[in-house]
Amino acid sequence: PEAAAMWRALRGARRPAAAETALRRGLGQAAGPRSVRQLREAEEAAPVFQYAGKAAKRKDRVFVWGFCYSGALGVPSFVKPDAGWKKPRRIQPTPYRLETEEKISSAACGYGFTLLSSNTTDITKVWGMGLNKDSQLGFQRSRRDRTKGYEYVLEPSPIPLPLEKPQQTRVLQVSCGRAHSLILTDSEGVFTMGNNSYGQCGRKVVEDETYSESHLIHQLKEFDSRVVQVVCGQDHSLFRTKKGTVYACGWGADGQTGLGHYNITSVPTKLQGDIAGVNIIQVSSYGDCCLAVSDEGDVFGWGNSEYLQLASVTETTQVNVPRHLPFKIGKIKEAACGGTGNIVLTEEGNVFVWGYGILGKGPNLIETAVPEMIPPSLFGWSDFNPDVRVAHVRCGLSQFAALTNRGELFVWGKNLRGCLGTGRMEDQYFPWRVTVPGEVVDVACGVDHMVSMVKSFT
Amino acid sequence: LNAAPRRPPRQHVRFLPVPSGGDGGTTGLVATRVPVLADHPLVRGPQFRRLKIGAGHRLDVKASGVFVLGMGHGNKLLTDLYNCHLTKVYTVGGLFGKATDDFSDTGKLVEKTTFDHITREKLERILAVIQGTNHKALLMHSNIDMKTQEAYELAVKGLIRPMGKSPPIITAIRCLQFTLPEFQLEIHCLHETQQYLRKMVHEIGLELKSSAVCTQVRRIRDGVFTLEDALLRTQWDLQSVQKAIWDCQLKVKAELEKTLG
Repeated sequence: PEAAAMWRALRGARRPAAAETALRRGLGQAAGPRSVRQLREAEEAAPVFQYAGKAAKRKDRVFVWGFCYSGALGVPSFVKPDAGWKKPRRIQPTPYRLETEEKISSAACGYGFTLLSSNTTDITKVWGMGLNKDSQLGFQRSRRDRTKGYEYVLEPSPIPLPLEKPQQTRVLQVSCGRAHSLILTDSEGVFTMGNNSYGQCGRKVVEDETYSESHLIHQLKEFDSRVVQVVCGQDHSLFRTKKGTVYACGWGADGQTGLGHYNITSVPTKLQGDIAGVNIIQVSSYGDCCLAVSDEGDVFGWGNSEYLQLASVTETTQVNVPRHLPFKIGKIKEAACGGTGNIVLTEEGNVFVWGYGILGKGPNLIETAVPEMIPPSLFGWSDFNPDVRVAHVRCGLSQFAALTNRGELFVWGKNLRGCLGTGRMEDQYFPWRVTVPGEVVDVACGVDHMVSMVKSFT
Repeated sequence: LNAAPRRPPRQHVRFLPVPSGGDGGTTGLVATRVPVLADHPLVRGPQFRRLKIGAGHRLDVKASGVFVLGMGHGNKLLTDLYNCHLTKVYTVGGLFGKATDDFSDTGKLVEKTTFDHITREKLERILAVIQGTNHKALLMHSNIDMKTQEAYELAVKGLIRPMGKSPPIITAIRCLQFTLPEFQLEIHCLHETQQYLRKMVHEIGLELKSSAVCTQVRRIRDGVFTLEDALLRTQWDLQSVQKAIWDCQLKVKAELEKTLG
C-alpha cells in the first residue's frame, strides 16, 4: 500500500472507487506467511487505478534544441536564469520541451529567431522569439519603456497581425529568412515583416529606413491565384500559388529570384524559364539556391551554383532562370535546399543528396554534382523492419533532417552550436537518430537551432 | 562412458626368454611385443573419473530455453564464443494490468491498472522507439570513431556491434501476439540478463500508461544454437549428447572463424 500510494502521488491517478483497506490487514487477523488463497483474495480485492481512459488523445508537443543565447529557443531561463547561482545555458544539446498555449501547426527557424503558428481562429495566431533587431518578429513593445521595442525576445510572444477578420482567418504557414519573415493566411494573402533592404518583404525599398522597432507589416494580395506556400531564402522570398506558378522578390545577385536578371526585385514577379506552364507542387530554399518540384516528379533549380548544386546543367556559378535538372533517379516527391547542399526524396522513399559539405555518406564524400543515394539501412530499414521509409526531408544551413514514416528523426551535417540535437558537439557524417520522447510529425531547421512538432506516444 | 571399449593398450618390445624344450640348453631371448602393464584396466581404473562441464550464458531459475554447455575441451570454445558477442533471441510473454515488485507474475502485487485503452498500434509504436534508442546505444558502445569512413560503411551494412563489455542492448524487438491482456514479444539482445527483460516488459507497461508483468521468458536461440539443437530432459543420455556435439561442431567452427578470424 505504501508503494501504491507513492506511485499514485507520482502519476496523479484518479482515486479508486473500491476501499483502499483491502491490502492492509486489521488487528484481529494473525500475522505470518499468507496462504495462496489469502494472497489471491487480497489481489482480487486490490483497487484498480486508471491512468488513461479509452478515449485518451495523443498530446501535441513542441521540442527545441540548439543555440540559446539568441533567445530563439523560447526558454528565458536559458539566457536569464531564475536563480542567482545558476549559470546561463549556451547550448541545449538534446531536445527540450517548450510549453505552448495552443497546438502549433507550423514552425519556421530563421537566422537566430523562430516563428510558431497555430491554425486557430483565436486572436493570437503567431508567436515569435529570438532576434528582433530588424523587426522580423513585428513590434514587441517593451514593458519598461512603452515607446521602445525589444531587441531580443526570449519567450514565445504573440505577433499582432493587421487582419480584417481576425476571428475567421487562419494562419496556414510561416517562413523565416535571415532578417525577414513571411506569414501565409488562408483568405488575407501573405504578411511580411522585417528587413526590406533588398525588397524581400515585397514592398518598395526605402533609402536609410530603420528596420528595428518598426510597426510596419506589409500585406501582399496581388497574385494570380491563392498563395499556398511561402518560402524564405537568405534575402529573398518565394511564393507558390494554387495554379502552380512561382513568384519571387528580393535580392537577386546570385540569380536566386530566377527572373532573368541579377538585380533587386521589390514586387513579387512571376518566374518563367523552364517552369513556365509547369504545375509546381513544392518550392524550397534557405540560402541562395532554390529548388522546385513539379507534379510530374521533375525538379527545377536556380540561384547560386558555386557549390555544384546546379553543375549538372551548367558551368556558370549563378543561374538566374529556372533550369530543369535532368536526374534519372525516379519521380521526385519532395526537395529541400540548404546553404551548400541539396536533398530530394523520391516516390519510392529513397533519399538523394548532392552539393558540397557533409552530405551524409561518410567523411569521404565532400562534394558531388550528381545526386548520390543514402542507403535506407541508415534510416532504420532492415530485414526485420522492411517497411520503414523516409516520409519528409528538411534542410538547415549546413544540416539535413529526415523524418521516417515511423516518426523517427534522423539528422546529419555540421553540428553548429549543438543544432543537430544528438547530445554531442561533433559533426555527424551519416544519418543519426535524435531521441525525442514522441513521434516526430514535422521539423524546422535553422542555422544553429531546430524546432520539432511531436505527438506523444499514447 | 567408462563401459565403452577403451583405447587398446600401448605395446612395447620386451626381450623375453624363449621357453626351451624341457631339459637344459641355452635360454635364448626373443623380442616380442607385449602390452604395457601400466595400461592394464585393473591398473588404470576407470578412464573418466571427472568430466568438466562449463556453462555458457546464464539462464534464470524462472526462465527456460536453450542453455549451452561445454564439455571437456569444449570449455575452451566457450570463451571464444563469448568473445564473438552474438545475439540471443527470447520469446517474452507479458500480462497487462498488474505491477509487481520483481516484475514477474509470482511477485508481490504493487498496483493494478486498467488496460482497455491499449491497442496493438500503440504497442508497436513503443517497440519502434525502444528499437531506435537501442540501435543508437549499439553504435555508441561499439567504440568505433563515428567520423571515419569505415564507421559509415559498417553502419550501412549493419555490422556495428560492441565487441567488448557493454550494458544490455536490444537489437530487434517485435510483437508476435497481442490479445488483451496478454501479449508476446520476440526480443533479440546482447549482454542481457533475464531480469532486464522482465524490467523491459514492466517499462513498456508504464510507457503505455498502464502496468505489465512478465509471465514467460524463453530463450529460443543463443548465438548459433537454436531450439532444434537443444536436448530435452528426456534426451539427457550419452548417445544424444554425443550426437549433438558431433552435429554442431561444424557450425561452431564456421562461426568462430567468421567472427574472430
